[in-house]
Amino acid sequence: MASQSRSVRARRPRAWAGLVAAALLATGLAACGTESGPPTLSWYINPDSGGQAEIAGRCTAATQGRYRIETTLLPREASAQREQLVRRLAANDSSIDLMSLDPPFIPEFAEAGFLAEIPEDVATEVTDGVVESAVQGSTWEGRVVTVPFWANTQLLWYRKSVAQAAGLDLSGPVTWDQLIEAATAQNTTIAAQGIRAEALTVLVNAVVASAGGTIVLTPDAPPDEVELGIDDARGRRAAEVIQNIANSAAAGPALNTRNEDASATLFEQGAAAFMVNWPFVFPRGQGAVEDGTLTQSALDDYGWALYPAVDAGTPSAPPYGGINLGIGAFSEHPDLALEAAQCIVSAENQAYYFVTNGNPAALESVYDDQEVVQAFPMASTIRESLRRAAPRPQTPYYNEVSSTIQRTWHPLGSVNPATTPARTADIIRAVLRKEDLL
Amino acid sequence: MDRQLSTRAKVGWALGGLAILVYALFPVAWIVSLSLKAPSDLSNQQFLPTRFSLENYREIFTGNASELFLSALRNSVGICLIATFISVVLAMFAAYAIARLEFPGKRLILSTALAVAIFPVISIVTPLFNLWRQIGLYDTWPGLIIPYLSLTLPISIWTLSAFFREIPWEMEQAAQVDGATNWQAFRKVIVPLAAPGVFTTAIISFFIAWNDFVYGISLTSTERARPVPAALAFFTGSSQFELPTGAISAAAVIVTIPVVVLILLFQRRIVAGLTNGAVKG
Amino acid sequence: MSSTTLAPGEQERARTASGRRPGLTDRAKAERRLGWMLAGPAFAVMLLVTAYPILQAVYESLFDFRLTDPDNRSFTGLTNYWVILTDWIWWRSLLVTLLITVVTVAVELVLGFGLALVMHRALTTLRPIIRTAILIPYAIITVVSAFAWQYAFALDTGFVNPWLNLGAFNWFGSFSPSIVVICLSEIWKTTPFISLLLLAGLAQVSEDLQEAAKVDGATWWERLRKVTIPNMKAAIMVALLFRTLDAFRVFDNIFIMTNGANGTESVSFLAYRQTISRLEIGLGSAVSVLLFLCVVLISALFIKGFKVDLSQARGEK
Repeated sequence: MASQSRSVRARRPRAWAGLVAAALLATGLAACGTESGPPTLSWYINPDSGGQAEIAGRCTAATQGRYRIETTLLPREASAQREQLVRRLAANDSSIDLMSLDPPFIPEFAEAGFLAEIPEDVATEVTDGVVESAVQGSTWEGRVVTVPFWANTQLLWYRKSVAQAAGLDLSGPVTWDQLIEAATAQNTTIAAQGIRAEALTVLVNAVVASAGGTIVLTPDAPPDEVELGIDDARGRRAAEVIQNIANSAAAGPALNTRNEDASATLFEQGAAAFMVNWPFVFPRGQGAVEDGTLTQSALDDYGWALYPAVDAGTPSAPPYGGINLGIGAFSEHPDLALEAAQCIVSAENQAYYFVTNGNPAALESVYDDQEVVQAFPMASTIRESLRRAAPRPQTPYYNEVSSTIQRTWHPLGSVNPATTPARTADIIRAVLRKEDLL
Repeated sequence: MDRQLSTRAKVGWALGGLAILVYALFPVAWIVSLSLKAPSDLSNQQFLPTRFSLENYREIFTGNASELFLSALRNSVGICLIATFISVVLAMFAAYAIARLEFPGKRLILSTALAVAIFPVISIVTPLFNLWRQIGLYDTWPGLIIPYLSLTLPISIWTLSAFFREIPWEMEQAAQVDGATNWQAFRKVIVPLAAPGVFTTAIISFFIAWNDFVYGISLTSTERARPVPAALAFFTGSSQFELPTGAISAAAVIVTIPVVVLILLFQRRIVAGLTNGAVKG
Repeated sequence: MSSTTLAPGEQERARTASGRRPGLTDRAKAERRLGWMLAGPAFAVMLLVTAYPILQAVYESLFDFRLTDPDNRSFTGLTNYWVILTDWIWWRSLLVTLLITVVTVAVELVLGFGLALVMHRALTTLRPIIRTAILIPYAIITVVSAFAWQYAFALDTGFVNPWLNLGAFNWFGSFSPSIVVICLSEIWKTTPFISLLLLAGLAQVSEDLQEAAKVDGATWWERLRKVTIPNMKAAIMVALLFRTLDAFRVFDNIFIMTNGANGTESVSFLAYRQTISRLEIGLGSAVSVLLFLCVVLISALFIKGFKVDLSQARGEK
């Protein structure tokens, strides 16, 4: 017995050495990555077709070696992008110099002190000539806190042949009710997004805004005093419209799990002749033609118009999205980051990004760019849509507001004008007062 | 045993075996098939592609998704190997002590291992995240290796101590009586007996670490440390709104390959490792 | 850990005790010391990676603390627990978790027993092939399994609807079908684990007993019920305990397949969402602590209630 224990003891130092070696290896590998030379700015980007990486390269080249911009990819879902960034920033991470931010989360970042200040003169410069909704989206409590980069909006996409057959005139404003009627008559569907995700909040907010309502009335009030506008006649009218969409034959298959991608597939396949969606569907359709899943004639049949309205008398309020650039508050090179941000959002880069990645520019002038107009025949419609677009609630508690909407308005088929808006308001209030889980 | 069985029984068990094969391989075949579909086939609602294409694999190795995938693969392999190594080494000592020595607290150690094994991982993610961001382990390899020990160490201790208990330790003494030195006796007799158990334990630990998702998504945020399962959930298509079904399938197939290779090479060992502990040695 | 520390004098004696014919107590002391020296590091690491964080979680759960608002961190006592326990969401996710646990474990036990029987009796030529095949689901990444099953049932990519002639039925559009697919993926992936544990149990049942029963004229079914199953009770219980607690932590499949939609949220998912998505560290920690207590409760039920003897199952005397 004793002899065995000795032999085991004899083996121990070797094993411990291995353990130490492993630990050293681990820390060594983690530690590498710091290098000398010109400062490297890291830019946390949302996924795209490589456009942001290309722009980072261009701006790096333009500085002639004063700094380099490296990109780091964030997850796909906007909410997941926020989670990743917030977790790093809460750790006072100095590695975040630039970040591509979805506008609804900007107030939260600004309020938490995660964004470096943008000087007056730069603020004026970067918002000059920028479409109104993007200026609003980059502002918090009257101050420009991010640099507008690109601005997204949803259009109403339709198959011209079907709209014509239905006798629907889409040159002027159109209402959801008209759309439902036309789609039902033509035995086709409207591809809207009903998945329990950010896409649902986008839809609900657009419909509420078009009904004349506002989900959060006092976005900058303390959480327990926030006043909500969703539970009024306009909120209920919005719920009615959504109820109509979801319960009509035109709702189409799998509305409860349909995201932007699934909508685009339905529209390409011809199962939906109408669709509300972001402009990415156009280059996606072009790609499908190349892959042979869509005929050129079907793509030529693509039509576009402004987002549908709730009532004929009130204007539509298309969704506003896109990306603004935030400067990390803990960055070691905030000046360089600011400079880089200005380079990134140059008109030239915005045009390039629009044409190659299908992400519309924040600068109005870009929409007159010949290349842009050629690649996106609907450019002027997009600009018009952006001018009318209504932002989602701009509050530091956007995640709570949006999650509650996704909880109470999903599935869309169960929306009830009498109860859904009221319940939404109740839950948001309770959650913000920390009396309820979410 | 085979000789005693009637032909009918043989056919019956063979059919049963066939059913198991279908059961086990069907979903794998599906994801492989999906990964080989050309983009135009992805939504064709059929099991098999009409046109085979390596497009999806190109996407993850050289295309848009390569940055995300390749770094995740490197992280996963490195982190899992190191975590496995550490936990097997630690477990080896503990298991030896449990199997061979009499000391108070033996049951305590086994119970602790059990408690840790059944611990709800999500419960410790929050405090770990908070601690890691304070001491700078957030989004690093050690930041994942340490929590991975909570997954791999308990099973290693259990498997190894069960295994060590079955080793006929008397043989070492017998060898010593035959004139072998302690070291020789240990090396020639005990090591060959213990090695399969240690090796098997390492494979099982590796599988468990390889499978982790919760730590992976919660304690990392960039390609510096993000492991494959987390990266799979974050894959993107050519725009934020497009879902890369093909690329995810291809990546899923790639990360399944090491697992399948290990199984093909060591299936007997792995099953033995999971079962021997309870069987009389 | 106190048993590891010996007075210097005792250590001295312990060292000399490893001589030829040591006194019983000295020898026992040396062994005890060696035992703890060998097992100590593993024990310490296990405590460090679990006990410390859970204590930290207990502490954090007493505060109102949002990560983006660190200045307003305040002590609120048990308020977080009150908020959780009075909220239907907690109870719903607990029920969903229990449902998934009960369904998957029950199906897996039956299915796993079948697999184990086939493997136990399979022709020697087939056995390695079956063993290899069955290990694949066991070792595959859960997230991969989740994607495979999700894509199989999804409306656009899936082959299941055309095969079953279901048209445009949306499996992830409502509660029941979503749970079915989640359970399917869970069952597929983890049945092999159960079946391997049961196979070990089967191997433990002595052939002599089986033969004796056979001689007595017992049918296959009678032998299974009267001899096989009672003799592998310990193995079954261990398999049950491990799988129950594993199923209770279900997270990956839900995250990938529904992301908690249609009320498919599990307790783990709820905890994840409070801390990681909402950044409410206090509330999330409280959910984590409650989840931990649930797991403790289930284990206690198994060990005390069903008298699961773990040492016996593992071949300890």
